Amino acid sequence: MQLSPLPAPDDDAQAPADRWSPERQLAQMLDLCEAQMESALAESDGAVDQLIKTFEGLAETMRGARSVAAKLPHESRPDADFANQLESMAEQMASAVVAFQFYDKLTQRLGHVRYSLSTLALFVCDRLQSSEPNQWRKLFTSLKRLYRTEEERRLFQLMLDGVSADDAKAQIQQSAESRTASAGEIELF
Amino acid sequence: MSGVPAQSILAVDDSASMRQMVRFTLEGAGYKVVQAADGNEALELARTQAVDLVLTDVNMPGMDGITLVRELRTLPAYKFTPMLVLTTESGAETKQRGKQAGATGWIVKPFNPDQLLATIARVL
Repeated sequence: MQLSPLPAPDDDAQAPADRWSPERQLAQMLDLCEAQMESALAESDGAVDQLIKTFEGLAETMRGARSVAAKLPHESRPDADFANQLESMAEQMASAVVAFQFYDKLTQRLGHVRYSLSTLALFVCDRLQSSEPNQWRKLFTSLKRLYRTEEERRLFQLMLDGVSADDAKAQIQQSAESRTASAGEIELF
Repeated sequence: MSGVPAQSILAVDDSASMRQMVRFTLEGAGYKVVQAADGNEALELARTQAVDLVLTDVNMPGMDGITLVRELRTLPAYKFTPMLVLTTESGAETKQRGKQAGATGWIVKPFNPDQLLATIARVL
């Protein structure tokens, strides 16, 4: 969305009435939030890519060590402590694989937030739409369709039901353990 | 890796980091991994090279995972191939759509590497 530049406080009195409106300023702030989010995500993507490459390098080294140890003659095999350490490393690698996936989930959820902010920015600029309660309901419905995870849906519904943001966040966090338990849930048909 | 035949798995996800985690897990267990970033690319790959299992995300640009499963099931070579859906979606309605399309199973992200491998071994 292309908006007029935000006037400096001193310029308020001179700002042309047709270019400035509270709706446009709100839209500009929403666009700013979206842009900040996009910029931060782009920065993080590079860092996470590097982290994953490093992780893969470490994992390859560990697999190599395990393979070398397995090929050694029986009398030269490393002791049980070494084997236990390799096993412990393998478990930590598996935990890291799970942890990395939460970054993907974060990216997905923030993508939905970014879309919501952009949609809202356009919506508030249209006074005809934004003054109609029915249009707001339609907006909520369309944004709700974006949500894929249980956490997104629950948070959205709690807020829509009138629960305060703080209470909704607390409720979501309280059930964090059960949500983590449902992750990795497998159903064969 | 000993004991595991080099079977091939088509891993489909629009997220590069997810594909890397899947590839890392599967290759570590001795599987050959073919990757695609969406359903269209996966369908093209599946037509040109046979794979033993398909592991797909649901929400992707272009062709989504459920449509991919449905399309693959129409191909004689994939009539009985195991197809697992790996997604953040846990809603019953979407799961039902996946089942109707012909998916073999449903795994909610984030996956646990050991559980994923055990499930794959079970359906292969």
